[in-house]
Amino acid sequence: MMDRISISVTVNGTVHTAEVEPRLLLADFVRETLDLTGTHVGCEHGVCGACTILMNGDSVRSCLTLAVQADGAEVETVESLGDAENLGPLQKAFRDHHALQCGFCTPGMLMTATDMLRKYSLETDDDIRDGLSGNICRCTGYQHIVDAVRAARDERDGR
Amino acid sequence: MKPAPFAYVRAASIEDAVAALAASDGLAKVIAGGQSLVPMLNFRLVDVPLFVDINGIEGLSGVEETPGGGLRIGALTRHFELEASPLVRDRYPVLHEAMKHVAHLAIRNRGTIGGSLSHADPAAELPAMSVLLDANIAATGPTSKRSIAAQDFFEAPLTTVLAPDEIVTAVELPPLPAGAGWGFEEFSQRRGDFAVAGVAAVVEQDVARIAVFGVHDTPLRAVGAEQAFASGGVDSAVDALRSEIEPSDDLHGSADYRRHLAGVLCKRALEVASKRARA
Amino acid sequence: MSPPDDIDLTRPKLVGAKVVRREDPRLLSGAGNYVADIKRHGMLHMAFRRSDHAHAAIRNIDTKAALALRGVVAVYTGGDIAEMANPYQATSRMKNYQATFIPPLAVGRVRYVGEAVVAVVAESRYVAEDALALIEIEYEPLVVLIDPEEALKPDALKLHDDLDSNILAEREFIRGEVDEAFENAAATAGERFHFTRTTPVTIEARAAVVEFDKGGRSLTLHCTTQIPGIVRDKLSEIFDLPGPRIRVIAPDVGGGFGGKTSLYSEEIVACAASRALEKPVKWVSDRMEDLMTTGHAFDEVVYADIAIAEDGAILGLKADVIGDVGAYSIYPWTATIEPVQVVSFMPGPYRIENYAARVRSVATNKTLTGAYRGVGRPISVFVMDRLLDMAARKIGMDPMEIRRRNLINDNEFPYKAASGLVWDKSAFQACLREAADGIGYDELRHEQQAARAEGRWVGIGVASYAELTGVGSRIAVAPGMPINTGTETCNVAIDSTGAVTASFGIASQGQGMETTLAQVVAEVLGVKVEDVDVILGDTSAVSHGTGTYASRGAVFGGGAGTLAAKAVREKIVRVAGHLLEAAEEDIETGDGNVWVKGTDRAMTVRDLARALYSDMGRVPKEMRDEIDNLEATKVYDPFFGTTTAATHMCLVEIDAETYKVEIGKYIVVEDCGRVINPMIADGQAHGGVAQGIGVALMEEVIHDDSGQVLTASLVDYVVPSAVEVPSMDVIHVEAELPGTIGGFRGLGEGGTIGAPACIANAISDALNPLGIEITEIPATPERLFRLIEAARNS
Repeated sequence: MMDRISISVTVNGTVHTAEVEPRLLLADFVRETLDLTGTHVGCEHGVCGACTILMNGDSVRSCLTLAVQADGAEVETVESLGDAENLGPLQKAFRDHHALQCGFCTPGMLMTATDMLRKYSLETDDDIRDGLSGNICRCTGYQHIVDAVRAARDERDGR
Repeated sequence: MKPAPFAYVRAASIEDAVAALAASDGLAKVIAGGQSLVPMLNFRLVDVPLFVDINGIEGLSGVEETPGGGLRIGALTRHFELEASPLVRDRYPVLHEAMKHVAHLAIRNRGTIGGSLSHADPAAELPAMSVLLDANIAATGPTSKRSIAAQDFFEAPLTTVLAPDEIVTAVELPPLPAGAGWGFEEFSQRRGDFAVAGVAAVVEQDVARIAVFGVHDTPLRAVGAEQAFASGGVDSAVDALRSEIEPSDDLHGSADYRRHLAGVLCKRALEVASKRARA
Repeated sequence: MSPPDDIDLTRPKLVGAKVVRREDPRLLSGAGNYVADIKRHGMLHMAFRRSDHAHAAIRNIDTKAALALRGVVAVYTGGDIAEMANPYQATSRMKNYQATFIPPLAVGRVRYVGEAVVAVVAESRYVAEDALALIEIEYEPLVVLIDPEEALKPDALKLHDDLDSNILAEREFIRGEVDEAFENAAATAGERFHFTRTTPVTIEARAAVVEFDKGGRSLTLHCTTQIPGIVRDKLSEIFDLPGPRIRVIAPDVGGGFGGKTSLYSEEIVACAASRALEKPVKWVSDRMEDLMTTGHAFDEVVYADIAIAEDGAILGLKADVIGDVGAYSIYPWTATIEPVQVVSFMPGPYRIENYAARVRSVATNKTLTGAYRGVGRPISVFVMDRLLDMAARKIGMDPMEIRRRNLINDNEFPYKAASGLVWDKSAFQACLREAADGIGYDELRHEQQAARAEGRWVGIGVASYAELTGVGSRIAVAPGMPINTGTETCNVAIDSTGAVTASFGIASQGQGMETTLAQVVAEVLGVKVEDVDVILGDTSAVSHGTGTYASRGAVFGGGAGTLAAKAVREKIVRVAGHLLEAAEEDIETGDGNVWVKGTDRAMTVRDLARALYSDMGRVPKEMRDEIDNLEATKVYDPFFGTTTAATHMCLVEIDAETYKVEIGKYIVVEDCGRVINPMIADGQAHGGVAQGIGVALMEEVIHDDSGQVLTASLVDYVVPSAVEVPSMDVIHVEAELPGTIGGFRGLGEGGTIGAPACIANAISDALNPLGIEITEIPATPERLFRLIEAARNS
């Protein structure tokens, strides 16, 4: 095997150091090494978006990022948004609007929506749909997800 | 779908990176954003013994003005930085528009302009934009640096003129003529997917620049269509374009359909660009 | 039918309320428990080397280098597994059906690209995949059967040597005088329709984790299945283990849509390996494996004709269905399930007295087809409703009007359809009417005229359908299978802490059944929704249950849950009568309390449980002997099942230059009986339609002539994103409640059943000026380009 490389990654505020193979995907590092299984793996080729996390504040596909590339980075996963007893506002909007069914795409949707809400004004439903278009959901038909993100936008904008 | 083993080094400087590439007998590859590369690794479609990560190199990122009124874009500049750059939006609105079509936010946050050009996907937006905007692509090798005109850069699908130990460091865009109009048209079945066909145009009076993607084995400046536009207007340009491109068949569209689409999109892009030019 | 055995409506109405889901907090916070999340001490990882030939003899397999790789624990071939697991096949008593054995790992011959040939068990998935690359397999290519119309010919090479032919099933239906109907027709329409092959694409791919308990010599399989009970029962035979020593658990499962309703090779191999190695073994499908191996959907060619009278009445219908079912007959549903449903449901909700149909299920060198959302009916409706529009055009009748004239009227129920199915009363006509009103049909027709005058291609689509849901024992889902899909079990128990647990044999893949079934049980029992813990998808919970498929969850779960909760409530009332010193008929329950009507004499259910179980002396021995505990297990058999009806309407516009189809408006009006949770019911319709849009416009599994799967990534197998799915209106018509317990009808599949036909009709309507009729879907821009070019050049 190729030499392992030592990395130090801050995940949801906690610093983790580990020796990893260069080929280890960040998704697997988060799930298998750190046991943060909220991040899901759906395609491993960057299409479905289920594995989306935030790295240094930006949404990224954790299946298209090597763990070694996250050395020194701040990573945020779905677990950072709020726990089951105390959901964050975006999670709550998803619940109120029934924006999830099986829940498998949901962590990626939430992390994508988090980044979208920071970066775009999301004036129209078309803007919201465009922003969500890199995250595939097979259950909801997206309508309730759009509703939830719209509600989160309104909350953001004090509408 | 897990990558095969490989070795990995982080380059601290371009010289460092180039030296690592040069030492590998042409087998090592650069990794930057990895948005095209890592899927290929996961599918085990490429077998690379060593990756040289250039993400940590200082000074390779960012958009800055050049003395002549153009822009210099560092190779590590992420797609989202281009999309959000006021300089890009003001000086190259066509590039600003194109960036919105590059995959999705999470990909744009990570993917780099140097990576996109080096990967040279004929259906991707940035290679076509480099050709449209007469970009010069700066590359550094072990012994020399050179600047390559975008039109000379792309050789074949996923193939450029870069030597195995050469790295793109920046992209320089000369200024667009004042008052030039632009049009950008892309067709894909699903939002964010690679283009089945795409056409971008810049028009200044009777002079048009037309670049196409997804309809040829490289991004292409449609010189024939440009000449036809000057002499015969939009319809002539469309006809000329359809005869000068050589699209191929794939699951997302036949060559015939792509040729048809290229014409449709060319017409739309030229019309919008002409209107904007007059405005 | 008798009126439904209704719940006392005086109590707080939980059924019908928009209750937020109980499963959401964990799923939203990353605390769900999916199979891929399971980690066990000493767990090993499995990966499969799969066939890259569609049809070939295996000459030699060399696994030495793989075994020698550091971190590799075991390597198994088909021969090894054959010694560890008994052979199995999907049997059926259906006439003219030929079962095939399904080797968990190929033995001697591979029959489709993606078929598992060698399994590697290693310390990590990464290492297991490294080992796969070191395995050398020598193949001798055989003639590849790709076209089912070729494969069914008598002289075609046989895919299975022991069978008579490649036709795994054949069936004919005839009712009435079909030839005469066509002779007397004012107009006929007929075509060769092709409904291409798709694949479910659950975002969670399939996965299995097997734990072997050395002490108890038992296996626990955690897997992404919709049918834990069926899997358990079959594994018990395959491994000669009694039921209690095989436990199948489907924890949080990330979507099913039918793709997870089969027993899969990987589950068997993982069990065999775990048992042999005495270690936990994990297999998680990657997306490429998923696209090549999870049961594919549809894939039928249908030659069909319709005859109508001058007034639009359907006189007769003919259909010849050829189903491409892939290499083996899938377990447990068999190769009959999909193609046979096409002909069974072809007459749909229409009055058709003369019907002749033939169906053949043909084996080819492709992935097995199985159940996928709608099973057969998306094709039935596509063909039937396309034919109706084509025929209506010939006599100059509006699509809406021809449906109104042919849909079964309220006074005609129960109606025995030409294929033998019986429709109980459902709002066939009302759905059509309300859909037209809801979308503004007449106005849209005017707008369409205006748009056409501008050269725009605007079309309106209509599709009506009926489906049988919650099918009971009288009509087994796939006739003749040696499994019972007609009943379901629920145990409701209040334990000594006073907590309520409702355990079911069905499983959830996102339908929200922890919430909806808690609503039903809580309402019947008289407790709060949040007081009911619902257990699903665990074979140790109830003695028999099959799972969730065929739009049965609400009918079966709701029915069995109601029965069990009622029985427990009777016990509560009994005990309360004694403790509160009142007549049983004066006892009321609600919100977790028990009280004497019109008094302030009350206690909590929790106190009542304590009084019964723990405070000896408070409940007399005789009473305790009689009621035993606050627990009941009930089995519900809806016997016939019930009809769910709907009409879909949509407005599309096709870009007259690029040929891209945009869906502008979409409405679903459905009669799914009493709605348990309107929010969840809407979500089911949205999701079903979204999948139907994929089927209609973009999704297609494509093979080349050598049988290679060209759509082996989500780049090439295109499913819709948020941009391609429009916002839609969903209206629930609660006409007359059916005879099922609670008045529930099934609703999970409907969206996918109606949408392909509705959209294909709208596209055909838009392209009517060119004389184009859509007969093959998905109607990709490429297909439309070819049709339009041909129309313009002719």
